[in-house]
Amino acid sequence: MLDNLALGVATAVSPENLLWCFIGVALGTVIGMLPGLGSATGVALLLPVTLALEPVTALIMLAGIYYGCQYGASISSILISTPGDSSSVVLTLDGYQMARNGRAGAALAVSALSSFIAAIITIVGLMLLAAPIADLALRFGPPETLAVILLGLSTIVSFAGDNLLRGITMAAVGLLLSTVGIASGFTDARFTFGSLNLLSGLDFIAVLIGLFAIGEVLHQIHRGGEAPIRARFKDLVITRDDVRRMIPASLRGTGLGFALGVLPGAGATLATFMSYGLEGRVGKHRAELGTGAVEGVAAPEASNNAAANASFIPTLSLGIPGSGTTAVLLGAFVVFGLQPGPLLFEQQPALVWGLLVSFVIGNFMLLVLNLPLAPVFAQALRVPYSYLYPFILFISLLGAFAIGNNTFSLWVAFTAGVLGYFMKRFDFPAAPLVLGLVLGPLLERSLVQTSALGRGDLMIIFERPISAAFTVAAILAILAPVVLAAVRRRRAPGRARQSTPTA
Amino acid sequence: MSGGPEGGAGADRAPVQVTATGVAGGGPTRADLVGTALLAVLGLAAAVYGWRYGFLVDGQVGAGFLPVATGGFIAVASTAEIVRMGLQRRATRADDHVRAPVGDERAAAVPTGQAAPDEELDVFGRTAAQRGRAIAVVFGLLGAALLLVPLIGLLLSLSLAVLVLVLVVERKGPVAAVASAAACLAFGWLVFVQVLGAPLPSGALGLV
Repeated sequence: MLDNLALGVATAVSPENLLWCFIGVALGTVIGMLPGLGSATGVALLLPVTLALEPVTALIMLAGIYYGCQYGASISSILISTPGDSSSVVLTLDGYQMARNGRAGAALAVSALSSFIAAIITIVGLMLLAAPIADLALRFGPPETLAVILLGLSTIVSFAGDNLLRGITMAAVGLLLSTVGIASGFTDARFTFGSLNLLSGLDFIAVLIGLFAIGEVLHQIHRGGEAPIRARFKDLVITRDDVRRMIPASLRGTGLGFALGVLPGAGATLATFMSYGLEGRVGKHRAELGTGAVEGVAAPEASNNAAANASFIPTLSLGIPGSGTTAVLLGAFVVFGLQPGPLLFEQQPALVWGLLVSFVIGNFMLLVLNLPLAPVFAQALRVPYSYLYPFILFISLLGAFAIGNNTFSLWVAFTAGVLGYFMKRFDFPAAPLVLGLVLGPLLERSLVQTSALGRGDLMIIFERPISAAFTVAAILAILAPVVLAAVRRRRAPGRARQSTPTA
Repeated sequence: MSGGPEGGAGADRAPVQVTATGVAGGGPTRADLVGTALLAVLGLAAAVYGWRYGFLVDGQVGAGFLPVATGGFIAVASTAEIVRMGLQRRATRADDHVRAPVGDERAAAVPTGQAAPDEELDVFGRTAAQRGRAIAVVFGLLGAALLLVPLIGLLLSLSLAVLVLVLVVERKGPVAAVASAAACLAFGWLVFVQVLGAPLPSGALGLV
């Protein structure tokens, strides 16, 4: 392996590859910041530009766009509560709150550092474990996938706020909205009411642009607008305490993201929600989550980056895309006459190892770019909101159009914006809805496949050890807080009675 | 989820916090009840409509399974929430009735001669009523901008919306409004059209 690593280093550090890697990560950061233009769109848009390059150079640049987008999407989530894609939604919870508390620079720095930590750890994991992990991932059948999704959905308890029932209801609304269009595994068109635009379903990126970006803008106007934040420079810089709190959360997020990113289709979004949920359970500062906690930025950001890197495992070693973006990258491999799969590591060692080493270099470039620029990016919040929000609405709607190049997405984003405003106003949490909407198609597909596997008996989920363990964990995750709250309520009057005489 | 602590120089003029459920010490509002009732109706309608797609087909999960399951859950959960809110409202009323002789705490909290919290001015100097109107105008403007897309194209219609927002809603001068709209237009054209090659619709007039 050391020979291969040396070959990879030699390939990745050539001046040409370094230059294109830098161009890739810089472009990726800009694309990621624009709502709607996620990494998959960014890679697809710029694929034609790379056709004149050597295959390894082109793939290094395209991969650079991929992880550059992850950084960029985090910046817009933190600064203006406008997630670039679904895997950055969770960052709007604590990252945006940190920004509103005058700590935007620190939030951006935590985001960049935790991404970097995750990237380095997962890249080493990728180099060492690609083949065995890919093999393990292949053992995940529909029941196991269904169980993982149920566990993902159970993280709602961390997002539901004070009213768990309302949070679960919003997740159910998200699942219901995901059923619009042609059913997964069927030929029926559902809830389309004769509209051709609805046949392919509601684009979740357009919905999340509306819910978060437009909804947030309208909510700010309702609340009376935000004053420009003129934070002191020292508040914009990450502190030693931030780093101390960031590291354990980043490590937990990395582990979870790596495990989930390996599973084809499970993806970074699920990883970010689950890592946030995990922080809500085990984090030392879990009570601060939702108010601008460092852990609320570090964990989802690390898991996002870890999942993105781990999604290359099934892509490179099996030829199965681990995410939407790696599916586009898989297309790029084919364009250059390469066939990802078990033989790729043997036949193209310079390309594969050069690409893997370039991940390290690219992530280092992103850290060098983003860390000093964090306080500079944070200056965007000094722009008076009167000028900032028309610009947010402008780029949000342009981004909504660019998703599928159709005006119907504009109306979806607009409608979701109106919905998002009323949801915020009446305290209906938006994050569970997005989770339901994103996981819906995956849930339904695995549900249908599990049903077929068990000949109608969904209880086979309990007959297989892995799926049974995940399902039980999901049930416990939902029920435990309810039961604990009931126990606390029952104990409270007793304590009150005991304390009354002494009061 | 919203409503984090305010920071920065504007903290001394922090915006007014208005939430539907947030009336100090009060129960759920009518809007809360209406919103949850709408959800219940939506869930019920989805469950009934979804049944037509087939809940189970040959004993296996059908195309209507998820719509019926989620719709049914939404209907039941929302009904339970309405019942809970109704009970909470009744308890709050009973509580208010008991406290009535003492007087309304909220009214007591506002010193004589000052405006009620909802009438406080925000950082832009607007009252709650003006903010409500501003939201309606923003909704209307965005809708109008989208309706104009087939005629003047996406970039122009959204830039026009920015111009009107800054001029009418934010009451800035014409120079600031035109500059904001022009900056947005230039940014959109440069990034989306020139760099990313996105085929933005130029409308019937085909200007940009």
